[in-house]
Amino acid sequence: MPRDPDTLREGPRPPSVDDNMTPVYSQEPEDQETYRHRSQTPVDTYREQAGEAAPEYHIEVPETEQHPVLTQCRSVENYEKLNRISEGTYGVVYRARDRITGEIVALKKLKLDQEKNGFPITSLREIYTLLLAKHPHIVNVREIVVGDTLTQIFIVMDFIEHDLKELMSGMRSPFLQSEVKTLMLQLLSATELLHENWILHRDLKTSNLLLNNKGEIKVADFGLARRYGEPQGVLTQPVVTLWYRSPELLLGAKQYTTAVDIWSIGCIFAEFVNNEPLLPARSEAEQLEKIFKLLGMPNDKIWPGFSKLPLASHVPNFVQPYNLLRSRLPYLTENGLDLMSKMLTYDPTRRITAEDALKHPYFSEAPPPKHPSMFPTWPSKGEKTAKKNASPSAPQAVHGHGQDEEEAGGLFNFANQESTGFRLKV
Amino acid sequence: MSQVKLSLQNALLTLEQLQQTPSREDGITEEQEDHLRQLGCHLIQHAGILLKLPQVAMATGQILFQRFFYQASLRKFAVRDISMGSVFLAAKVEECPIRFLDLVNVFDHLIKKFHRLPLDPMPAYQQTFYTLKDATVVAEMQILKKLSFNVHVQTPYAIMINYLKVLELMDHPIIPQLAWSYLNDGLRTSIYICYQPPTIACSVIWLAAMKENVALPTSPAWWEVLDAKLEDIENIAGHITSLYHRPLPISTLPFTIEQVEPYLRGELNKNASNGSPAAAATGSLSSTSIKGTRVSRFS
Repeated sequence: MPRDPDTLREGPRPPSVDDNMTPVYSQEPEDQETYRHRSQTPVDTYREQAGEAAPEYHIEVPETEQHPVLTQCRSVENYEKLNRISEGTYGVVYRARDRITGEIVALKKLKLDQEKNGFPITSLREIYTLLLAKHPHIVNVREIVVGDTLTQIFIVMDFIEHDLKELMSGMRSPFLQSEVKTLMLQLLSATELLHENWILHRDLKTSNLLLNNKGEIKVADFGLARRYGEPQGVLTQPVVTLWYRSPELLLGAKQYTTAVDIWSIGCIFAEFVNNEPLLPARSEAEQLEKIFKLLGMPNDKIWPGFSKLPLASHVPNFVQPYNLLRSRLPYLTENGLDLMSKMLTYDPTRRITAEDALKHPYFSEAPPPKHPSMFPTWPSKGEKTAKKNASPSAPQAVHGHGQDEEEAGGLFNFANQESTGFRLKV
Repeated sequence: MSQVKLSLQNALLTLEQLQQTPSREDGITEEQEDHLRQLGCHLIQHAGILLKLPQVAMATGQILFQRFFYQASLRKFAVRDISMGSVFLAAKVEECPIRFLDLVNVFDHLIKKFHRLPLDPMPAYQQTFYTLKDATVVAEMQILKKLSFNVHVQTPYAIMINYLKVLELMDHPIIPQLAWSYLNDGLRTSIYICYQPPTIACSVIWLAAMKENVALPTSPAWWEVLDAKLEDIENIAGHITSLYHRPLPISTLPFTIEQVEPYLRGELNKNASNGSPAAAATGSLSSTSIKGTRVSRFS
């Protein structure tokens, strides 16, 4: 195989083999030289046929475009902090500008102060998941940068204007059916990719769904996500925010599957349609009660293995055998209701998969899903300077580091308006 | 800096990084650097066995260790600290996290053993524990930072087993275990930072088949079907086999940063016998068995 000498970049050779040294290791392979002279080895026969000489040792280094290179983390100084967007248990999110390209990004600062076990495994999972799951509807992670001390770690992500919980709490009327379909299709396709890659999100809820001004959903916050496999290892409990938690989790099932994410999506679906959470409860017992009141009491017939679940015997025994989903969703079409009940099926093995849900007739009946570019736009809460942003210099007030100006939005701050939305107490 | 900054594909070295390592720039000779790298890998492999980690986690740890010292000098970071950090981090990455106490105990024991000190158990609740624990936390963060969080390593174990099945070699009495051991021993060389896992998997099968004199399909050549180049295969094989000819004077090598300077001057543990050969240390002890080892689907 003649090679272009220009593409061949020679590196250091491996240390030479000392012929006089007696091998000590019993399973020791003989010298390379010995192999080369052993005529019956397949490789030599092959080589003779091909008329090739044995190549010399060297390390060939592929061109750097073909593979990632080892580099250090860049400093957070490459970004200019603009303002704080939100703060949760996981950490603080800032809006920032890339000093070189001028792009607006979100910086998520990890909370590491109280870590007793070094770098948190959840953050490792989050980074892994975000890298693996590259998808138009999953938030894009750009890089990870560090501050001056070892505990300042920031994940740099694309900046997305809204989160759906915030947005919906400021909306006077629910999404249109065509809009719901678009959002659901996007959410399901992202979930399908995750599940295909053996990843559970485990915390799907409206506040973890971001929406940009192009009508595109981005699934975010993979802090609880993890890979799973067959056979399943030990999975942590409890997972998923209460309102979106599936009955098998509430009943203490040791093993769970991708079906837990689908239940959450079912709850989100109803929330899109009604513009209010489907099952807002304050405790696990109340959550189960609300589920049973809405969907009827499960039994071993519709959910084989139900009575064997650890907490099934503690379930309050009020009898409400009927599925009342229709009463909560009076204006949804038959197909829509069918999809919803398939997502909110008690038996996790019979709950619809993301793949099948995407093919559901609900999405092909009228009205068709609205094209994302036709979505209405809203001023962003995170981006306090929505109007002035068009001019190159942003106001000085938002340049301070770590400033927290929650109510600067004024006219455009929907969160402060009266809303019927519910707030989750974390 | 428009290139990919974060990726799940294994990061490889550029030629410049390979030729001019930070340690070499810091006045450490090629042989010394090689010894210290082998020492760290040796330590990680043995610690992993004692901690009952899956082989994939030990492999990840050793690859992280190797990568780290292409970004930092062996004069500034101690082999002990970085290998502890690597094991700790690799265990998390491979979803089998370990406790500080176990980790520190195992390393304390191994270091005493390698330096031929009395094998007293580590005193409980003493300063040693906290020193080592803090060192691990710092080392872990340093590894993450220097490798810009590219710590999810692709390993060739599962690929190799698939290839063995394709070549109908899984039932051979020797080849699977032999190839598995070559993969383990190859962690002590730079092959994992210079080649992608499928090429390495081909190479160890090639080497094992050659050792056992088993003929494999040649028309077309099996490695071409598996998209590997013979040249690469031979290079990797050369790196692995040369390992068995390099002695690793383990008792004279430094574990901590205080021991590095005396070592570089050739004054560390001078009186200790100077030649436990590499092969004795490299061989059967380090090889985990292919049988009964859980190969993660993600490896």
